[in-house]
Amino acid sequence: MKKYLLFVFGVWIMIVALKGDDETKFRIPKNWPKPVYEFNKNPLNKDKILLGRALFYDPVLSADSTISCTSCHLQYTAFTHVDHTLSHGINGRIGTRNAPALTNMAWGTLFMWDGAVNHLDMQPLAPISHPDEMGSNIDTVLFRLRRSSIYPSLFYKAFKDSAITGEHFLKAMSQFMLTIVSSNAKYDQVMRKEKGIAFTSQEANGYRLFRTYCESCHKEPLFTINDFRNNGLSVDTTLNDYGRIKITHDSKDSLCFKVPSLRNVEFSYPYMHDGRFATLQQVINHYTTSIQHSATLSPLLDKPIFLTANEKVDMVAFLLTLTDKEFLFNRAYSFPKEIFMSAPKE
Amino acid sequence: MYRYITVVILSMICTHNSSAQNVVPVIFRNVWGNTPLQLDSSLHTNQDTNISTINNLKYYVSGITLLHNSDVVFSEPSSVHLIDARMPSSCTVMLNLPKDVFYNRISFNLGIDSITNVSGAMGGDLDPTKGMYWTWQSGYINYKLEGKSNACKTRNNEFHFHLGGYSYPFASIQKIVLNLERTDSIVIIADVSTFVKQIDLANENSVMIPSEQAMKLSRLAASIFSIQK
Ligand code: HEC
Ligand code: HEC
Repeated sequence: MKKYLLFVFGVWIMIVALKGDDETKFRIPKNWPKPVYEFNKNPLNKDKILLGRALFYDPVLSADSTISCTSCHLQYTAFTHVDHTLSHGINGRIGTRNAPALTNMAWGTLFMWDGAVNHLDMQPLAPISHPDEMGSNIDTVLFRLRRSSIYPSLFYKAFKDSAITGEHFLKAMSQFMLTIVSSNAKYDQVMRKEKGIAFTSQEANGYRLFRTYCESCHKEPLFTINDFRNNGLSVDTTLNDYGRIKITHDSKDSLCFKVPSLRNVEFSYPYMHDGRFATLQQVINHYTTSIQHSATLSPLLDKPIFLTANEKVDMVAFLLTLTDKEFLFNRAYSFPKEIFMSAPKE
Repeated sequence: MYRYITVVILSMICTHNSSAQNVVPVIFRNVWGNTPLQLDSSLHTNQDTNISTINNLKYYVSGITLLHNSDVVFSEPSSVHLIDARMPSSCTVMLNLPKDVFYNRISFNLGIDSITNVSGAMGGDLDPTKGMYWTWQSGYINYKLEGKSNACKTRNNEFHFHLGGYSYPFASIQKIVLNLERTDSIVIIADVSTFVKQIDLANENSVMIPSEQAMKLSRLAASIFSIQK
């Protein structure tokens, strides 16, 4: 009997000790919906976040160690690849789609322009294996991590397990991505009625127009409905990308692409899944004058949108209030010097 | 304090009970006709097929359940097993049954259910490093068969069947129910030759995406399981 009591006491001590294990709470910005990611399956912890961040910045993930996630998803440009219409991978290979900006992934349901990825955890497998992106595979990546001089101890610290498994690798990458939250743009400050912050009359008018014409797909506060729509782009016959239908094989999904968030849209140029527009003016002109009518066009865009030249300027002024400087320069998202400087790389 | 005492008593009961548990092995025997399946070696050719080798055979078995007639009498908790013909140890699953369960049928899924498919990264047999997870589109491969046949006019005469897909209209998981002859050990035969013989390898030798074809082949793959007499 005594033995059992001791045993139970021991288990209790262990549970208490594990509970206190640097759990980091995910902060939901005021008035935002509940995140979609199930944090109970992968509770945030600072060592795991740091590990994920190191992996995000490490070209060891690519076949020839030249390309990291950040090569295509650069923090200062809202985690996208500016200037390239289509993404560039190893050996200068060019992909078939434009890298999207990464923000607020804890609220994401399906990932990629066509929703090919069904869970944030599974996202890294796609670029790692894609021949035009990182051109490697998860087994090679884990093999290299096991032999590296820094990762075995980082994995041990994070997971209390020195075996570097696919599950732990993917969960750590998710942890870092989940922390990438943009919620402090001028727009947010205005919504929170912070002292001394207000829209200019141009911005306010742009916001009014936005709520009339754009809100139903680019829904606040995330500026996306996290669903797939045809917004009237013509088919680029050099790519013949029909979007979501590739995954669902449902003709209703032909030409439907994921509605991107417009947070930090100032920096996510070029725009659309194939990067066809260089400026926000061009995007707005698309919505006012060049909508392509087809069977799957969203009914919301069926009726033409009329905007005067001034209204277009106001709309752009509003979109620029979605720029979140704190996010773009947040040190918590940047290259983790402390890890890569302290140990020699293999 | 009372709580601890309850826990103590409970744990005593549990440990007591476990000694009365009944361990029943479920053995998946992958065969080619009447002989155990030999990977990488020439399989004897007959009129029906030009097969020369099988190089890889892996499949997921999940949701193992025992039934007495149509009543469920036991469901294995978190039941997922990757059967890999290259790893004999993976082909035996031990079921820990409580004492006094009576059953005469077994049921299991060939493949991974849709909930598990959308639940993010998992470990053990579900770890995506097991070569059973697609990368360009999320989802587990339920059944993987690779080999060579001179019927295939492909590179190195190879054929590849990666069968999977968890969502409508291409949900390819298959439920299999078999009547048992004996219950102290359960031996399930999977005769790969009956699968291969029913495929026209000259025209059908590469299926790697969820599709109508993958559904058809998944049903075929499920049909090769039987109970050893
Ligand atoms: C070669 C450029 C490139 C590299 C390297 C790259 N990505 Fe991407 N990323 C893209 C492109 C292009 C897309 C959109 C692809 C599509 O929709 O088919 C994308 C999409 C994503 C998305 C989905 C975003 C959304 O809202 O749907 C996430 C998340 C992501 N990448 C994370 C990563 C991570 C993590 C890594 C490193 C393991 C990485 N990426 C490496 C180009 C890249
Ligand atoms: C019917 C839904 C819908 C409506 C309404 C809509 N959009 Fe979009 N928007 C989309 C979709 C879908 C995409 C992505 C299309 C693609 O790349 O194929 C998109 C892309 C964009 C982009 C590109 C973002 C990027 O980072 O690439 C901008 C900017 C944009 N929309 C602004 C607007 C504005 C401004 C309005 C109102 C005038 C508007 N949208 C109305 C669905 C919509």
